[in-house]
Amino acid sequence: MGGKTWMRGIGRYPFLYLLALPGVLFVFLFSYVPMYGILIAFKEFNIRKGVLGSPWVGFSNFEFFFTTDKLLLVLRNTVFLNLLFIAATTCCAVLLALLLNEIRVKWFKRTAQSLIFLPYFMSWVVIGMLVQSFLGGMHPTVDGWLESLGIAPLNWYYEAHLWPWILTLIRVWQGAGYMSIIFLAAVTSFPDEIYEAARIDGASRFQMMRRITVPLLVPTISILTILAIGKIFNGDFAMIYAIVGDNSMLYPTTDVIDTYVFRSMRVLNDFGMAAAVGLFQSVMGFIFVVAVNALVKRYSQDSALF
Amino acid sequence: MIATKSDRMMTAFSWGFITLFAAFCLIPFLLMVSGSLTDEQILINEGYSLLPKGLNFEAYRILLQSGALLRSYGITLFITATGTVLGLLVSASLAYSIANRRNRLRHAISFYVYFTMLFNGGMVPFYILISNWLKLSDTLAALILPLAVQPFLVFLMVSFFRTVPEELEEAGRIDGAGEVRIFIQLVLPISKPILATVGLFYALIYWNDWFMGILFLSEENKFPLQMILRRMVSNLEAAKNLIPSGAGIALQAPTYQIRMATTLVTIGPIVLLYPVLQRYFVKGLTIGSVKG
Repeated sequence: MGGKTWMRGIGRYPFLYLLALPGVLFVFLFSYVPMYGILIAFKEFNIRKGVLGSPWVGFSNFEFFFTTDKLLLVLRNTVFLNLLFIAATTCCAVLLALLLNEIRVKWFKRTAQSLIFLPYFMSWVVIGMLVQSFLGGMHPTVDGWLESLGIAPLNWYYEAHLWPWILTLIRVWQGAGYMSIIFLAAVTSFPDEIYEAARIDGASRFQMMRRITVPLLVPTISILTILAIGKIFNGDFAMIYAIVGDNSMLYPTTDVIDTYVFRSMRVLNDFGMAAAVGLFQSVMGFIFVVAVNALVKRYSQDSALF
Repeated sequence: MIATKSDRMMTAFSWGFITLFAAFCLIPFLLMVSGSLTDEQILINEGYSLLPKGLNFEAYRILLQSGALLRSYGITLFITATGTVLGLLVSASLAYSIANRRNRLRHAISFYVYFTMLFNGGMVPFYILISNWLKLSDTLAALILPLAVQPFLVFLMVSFFRTVPEELEEAGRIDGAGEVRIFIQLVLPISKPILATVGLFYALIYWNDWFMGILFLSEENKFPLQMILRRMVSNLEAAKNLIPSGAGIALQAPTYQIRMATTLVTIGPIVLLYPVLQRYFVKGLTIGSVKG
């Protein structure tokens, strides 16, 4: 395509390009301009002097990566929590989709779907409020339930080692229903003929589920999982901060890269260091997404993102 | 057909598991509703229960008179309405342009938008951009503008616009309609379902957002609902800020009860609109799962 025809293309349909303009500007301002700010990671940033005026310090903002094990801890928490979330949510969602598919009573299926999808629409602040209400206070509500089961009550906000599992449970509550609907949509698209043939051969419903539905569902499951793994370095700030907040007792197991960056910036005012960690995360995340996409592409061209 | 024993067990297990999971999803909401109606002393001493003990409407009586809550509700409504309209306008135009074959830059623009999903500058430069360069701290614009273009939603619309038959635009062109008229009078009317889906996505994003608030708002009189809730989570006493001074409440304010009532009031519109929301979300998900 020559430069001239290209220009003529714009000249012929100026409106098409005009339509794209506001969106392009928004993306430029809120996504591309901050990329320029990455320079802060290499500067001793001072708000008054601005990004350009602040002195260069080379890689000294990155030094703490090696001098403390802080980064290692938040990195480990980020990856570990994300793996737990992915595994638990996917397993529950697949199970829910398979079992919902077995239910033939319309009203029950529809009601159940509505109920398990509902938590997905709640903001993390609302969820944080619920968690605090049921686990916090002088006599936590959940402790009352545990006592009636004969289990000793706990002081939840002092038990850091329990929180990865508590957060996972919350994640399942919030996201498994949403994910199961994606799986269920895939399941209902499987051809009826296969099931018909299996029925004629005398297969039970369980056998059909195991030998037909699950194998057919595997591509969808692996693609969603692989895509989720691509984002494994992105801690869910909105979730963790809304639930854990500034509860430093729980940092050892729940502090992720994103909450750490936020605190370094807002509480410690260490912009340079926070930017350095943020840059490290962006680069790692980018490499992972691209690598994962290459993997998906090899596996199934249609499912790759780009 | 004769149901075998194995099939009957399968059905029973499905009903059992689904019922349990649905209950697991529902119970926190029930505890919340009941908590908002339970007498404060019982809440403190016994915690939350599925049915309200010592039923009273004290918390709602206070919230109804609370100017602070009403103002906050207004702010959230304003942000959601403005944000949804803006997001929908900008994203739909961008998506239509990307989807159109006559746009010779469509691949370049598409990659330009897509790249932001892969790589970003991180929280620190973003914060400095909004607060220091654009000077939007403590303005509602800081809560609206940065969220107005969601790449995922743009691509959801692109995949829809690609299915619009070219003959339609061709016919419009033969009738002498310009590009503007084709877009507004031919394409947009048949795109109502996707516009509704994406509009609801945007509305939900704006209604539920609190991250922008926590980064850029410090003045309490500009807090949207989620920020009011957020402050109550981090500070138990914050619930008292909602109590109007003339309400005749003694020192013993029903803090716990107010917290639950405020939460309920915050999620109210979502629950009321839920049947609509659910239908369009499922539709959006199935369109989205075609590609990406």
